[in-house]
Amino acid sequence: MKRHLPFVVVAGWGALNGVLLAVLAVYGESSMVFWLWGGAVVLLALVALAVLAACRSGPDQHVRYRVPDRGAGAVVPAAFGLLLVALAFVYGLWLLALAGPLLLVAVALAVRGTTAREE
Amino acid sequence: MTVTPPTAKAVTGGRPVPPSGWLGWVTSTDHKRIGVLTVGTSLVLLLAMGILALTMRAQLAQPEQQLVDTHTFNQLFTIHGSGMIYMVVTPFAIGMGVYLVPLQIGAPGIAMPRLTLLGYWLYALGAAVMLAGFATPLGAHADGWFSYPPMADSIHSPGAGSDLWIAGVFLATTGTIVMGWTVLWTVLRKRTHGMTMLRLPLFSWSMIATCLMVIGAFPALLAALGLLAVGRADPSIFDHNVWNIGYQHLFWFYGHPVVYVMFFPYLAAVAEVLAVFSGRRFFGYQGTVLSLLVFAALSMSVWGHHMFATGQAANDYYSLTSIALLVPAGVEYFSMLGTIAGGRLRFAPPMLFALAFIPQFLIGGLTGIMVGTPVIDYHVTDSYFVVAHLHYVLFAGSAFGLFAAVYFWFPKVTGVMLGHRLGRLHFWLLVIGANLTFLPMFALGYLGMPRRVSTYAAFEGFGWLNLLSSIGAAFLAAGVILFAVNVLWTLRKRTLGRAEKAPDDPWGGHTLEWATSSPPPRLNFTPEHPVPPVTSFAPLLDLRQRQEVTAVDRSPS
Repeated sequence: MKRHLPFVVVAGWGALNGVLLAVLAVYGESSMVFWLWGGAVVLLALVALAVLAACRSGPDQHVRYRVPDRGAGAVVPAAFGLLLVALAFVYGLWLLALAGPLLLVAVALAVRGTTAREE
Repeated sequence: MTVTPPTAKAVTGGRPVPPSGWLGWVTSTDHKRIGVLTVGTSLVLLLAMGILALTMRAQLAQPEQQLVDTHTFNQLFTIHGSGMIYMVVTPFAIGMGVYLVPLQIGAPGIAMPRLTLLGYWLYALGAAVMLAGFATPLGAHADGWFSYPPMADSIHSPGAGSDLWIAGVFLATTGTIVMGWTVLWTVLRKRTHGMTMLRLPLFSWSMIATCLMVIGAFPALLAALGLLAVGRADPSIFDHNVWNIGYQHLFWFYGHPVVYVMFFPYLAAVAEVLAVFSGRRFFGYQGTVLSLLVFAALSMSVWGHHMFATGQAANDYYSLTSIALLVPAGVEYFSMLGTIAGGRLRFAPPMLFALAFIPQFLIGGLTGIMVGTPVIDYHVTDSYFVVAHLHYVLFAGSAFGLFAAVYFWFPKVTGVMLGHRLGRLHFWLLVIGANLTFLPMFALGYLGMPRRVSTYAAFEGFGWLNLLSSIGAAFLAAGVILFAVNVLWTLRKRTLGRAEKAPDDPWGGHTLEWATSSPPPRLNFTPEHPVPPVTSFAPLLDLRQRQEVTAVDRSPS
């Protein structure tokens, strides 16, 4: 039980949302509200399942950690690539022609493990 | 003989040279750097949003003023509100989690650090995109922070500024969700040996509740923004009522939980400060943890109270759940009061801000219960009463928690102490300013002044209350400028080596971050600064108490 407490917290919180949603059904609301909140409850259930899977596959508390020690050179081009994707919806889809290569560069940098180990 | 200095590569054993300077900062996977970037960016934006607020208060200080025109005024309140909520108070709260949670749970880093860094960049770029709206021919977005259609569609709000607002808020919110996810995973799955869930510090528990809300509710904002973007491309969508009301449901499903995202981390920071500066363990720990989780779940159920006046929401239900919030809030308040009752209080700047948080947030909370009641809400909806309420919650409440947190953890983050004298002056200016600015707004709203008006007629009788409010805003500005001077001066003195060095634990802290050096090393804890035994949610207090008992036992009687 203790080992699975993180799962219980997330699942319990999602379930409490489900209970409150059920009470709302008594009062009545538009169907969109039930899809909206129900979707959030499903999302929380998926998070709870991910936590459960992690709890079952590893210790609850850690003595040793695997710490990524490389800098994240791919992150900045990825972020600017996503910025261009967002701006494409404002200024036109031609910006995707710039975003695509930038995102490819980010993927290449991520795959190659570009930047140095942080001391 | 000439000697060639060893190359950097030789020093690092042939490995590539780690990036230093600004490049090292913006590409680092160190959670502390990402946290400082997030918090620092939001503080800079706080200053910018404050300038917009001051311009509005200058405009409203006297009746029938024309300092700025109505369209500019609309841009000012829209970007001020959007900026403060999407780009300042929420990211600051998550940024504190990024910095503090790994330290508090004894971990050497955050889970998924590259993703966390991506989250920061999306947030920062989103803020820049939203502000870029001011540079467009028709100006920035001007429909308020919730931007209801059809007013926000492309017919009623033409121009690229509104599209940039959608893109910017979308990016920033995506970044916040990403950071929230990694903080949640860290606290659930990266705890050190001995750090059970029921030994987590209150701040870390608050981040669990906060991040659950971020994951559960924030995607609804992305959906709302998507709907608005589609509606701007095809405004006929908003000819149908279902999409107008649908947008409001989507927006407020995010828009109410975000208030608690902007509350819990600051409440928990205040709780930690109260315990440390009262010299006592936090009172009612388990009850407070449970109330945080219940509070967070209830906060997902109250969004419809923002839609009472539409007549298209289940008012009974949303009113009931809004009033039910009093129960967990009461538990937390009595726990805070129980902590300071009978304690040996020390009135350093963090404690001053924490103490002021208690009554000021109470005003915000209780007026929230008022507007959560349909009969009162019908009277004051869209009036300055609502503006007063939300500013008591977010400024007189959360911002005081924010400053308590800054004064409390600044020595840990930077290794130097912030000036206490300027800190006290900052506190008093802010207390006077916050109450002088926002208290008259309750009266203004009750008397009928609508929110978001760029001017008002002299005969309406709102003049002297608005003048008082604007004078209060000047106090706020003076306080925030003093704070900025204090921070910049201290950092400058640190660069010159003249600042007052902070010890590892300058306040007598209770949680693990105070066991390591100030500032902490790359992997947080070292053999010289190991993680102490985790025996409760206040392990350093336990350690000190054990040492005192041992010292008494050893002393000759």
